[in-house]
Amino acid sequence: MHLLSKFDEVAATRNQLSQGGIDPTDVEMEQMISATEAIIRGRRTILAGTNNYLGLTFDPECIAAGQAALAAEGTGTTGSRMANGNYHSHRALELELAQFYGVNHAMVFSTGYSANIGTLTALLAPGDCVMLDADAHASLYDGCRMSGADVYRFKHNDVDSLDNRLRRLEDRASRTLIITEGLYSILGDHAPLADFAEVKRRYGAFLFVDEAHSLGIYGDHGRGLAEEAGVEADVDFIVGTFSKSLGSTGGFCVSHHDVVKLFRYASRPYIFTASPCPSVIATTRVALRLLQERPELREQLWRNARSLYEGLAGLGLTLGPDVSPVVGVRLADRDQALGVWHQLLDAGVYTNLIAPPASPDGSSLLRVSTSAAHTAAQVDEVVTAFSVVLAGQNPLG
Amino acid sequence: MSQDLAQIEQEIRTILAAFLQNPPELTGSTDLIKDLNLESIQIMEFVVEIEDHYDVAIDLESLSNVHTISQLAEVVVRNQQ
Repeated sequence: MHLLSKFDEVAATRNQLSQGGIDPTDVEMEQMISATEAIIRGRRTILAGTNNYLGLTFDPECIAAGQAALAAEGTGTTGSRMANGNYHSHRALELELAQFYGVNHAMVFSTGYSANIGTLTALLAPGDCVMLDADAHASLYDGCRMSGADVYRFKHNDVDSLDNRLRRLEDRASRTLIITEGLYSILGDHAPLADFAEVKRRYGAFLFVDEAHSLGIYGDHGRGLAEEAGVEADVDFIVGTFSKSLGSTGGFCVSHHDVVKLFRYASRPYIFTASPCPSVIATTRVALRLLQERPELREQLWRNARSLYEGLAGLGLTLGPDVSPVVGVRLADRDQALGVWHQLLDAGVYTNLIAPPASPDGSSLLRVSTSAAHTAAQVDEVVTAFSVVLAGQNPLG
Repeated sequence: MSQDLAQIEQEIRTILAAFLQNPPELTGSTDLIKDLNLESIQIMEFVVEIEDHYDVAIDLESLSNVHTISQLAEVVVRNQQ
């Protein structure tokens, strides 16, 4: 054993994944054609494994704003906002986010991952408690662990499991942050937020919702699952990302709590990371405006989502529980999932392979996502590809 | 070993045997990963079951040094106090 021996197992896994000639975790889009198509291994391929829910990555207004910002403000900021200064556009985006959510405070981070880490490590301290949904994203686990708070898991989306654990904490419940996501990105299921909010109120706890995958998807105004569930007033902290519905990169935290103003002095990912590039901020601001001005994008997304879900369900596949823009297709084991993934790619459809330990419940599945930019014909083509590839196979072994 | 600890360890062995489909012989020193090849997600699911059985809340840090059934029993006892 030496320093590098720990990678032997990783190498074995990678070699196994690469047996089909391409590693599903390392796919190269040789050329982007549009928000929904790319050239992969020389073949025109439908992208059914992205988070481009509103299809805004190629929006002309967003691109023009990015180009203008590049010309006017340069390629990068070269440092953090605390050490090297704010650009006007950083603050403008924060103001627009706060207005969008109807809260007093917003804080922008350079990535979605650092938004979770940066918010949680600023907010939590040793002696505090966290109730964390078992299927929460790695960035939430990492942020909680780094904070030094006592972290307790409750069963995924299980209100009774949360309630029981808060009860066991007794008087520490009021020092507890409940953490959940809106839309879960692998199975496409969503949190019972109204029930969680009721539990939160009863124990005097705080509620944190990661809306990374639900911004732009849920709610009459696209603000996310908290809006859809009618519990925005009960949510203390919402964290989200620009890299999905808004088609750029970065993340944010919004809240009505004044302490968010002080996070800037306590959040190491904020303090020690270079601030987002002006062009990224510019495209994000336009995308945020388009999200509000063009509800038809959300309507088209849901039409595609329903069509995809119903099409795959019609093949007899075992899917995640909720209709959403993310569909988890369960398969028998990793070998079958890997084989189907390769065959779909050969058929011109890119999906996401999800296998243990990355899968939420130890299962092997393919994650299929849709976008407002997908045409009805593309959705049909994805379903047809599944039908052809799985013909004669038992999807659950 | 206190009576409580011994009793809890025995109960955990019984619960674990039911949790696993084809359990080998389980002792206090049975290692959940090395001996039973449990994936991390299976261990977490099992711990949730243990928490509910004993009506305790076990934080993740307390579990970081738990490898065997005996060690898990000790954590349960500590959290009952």
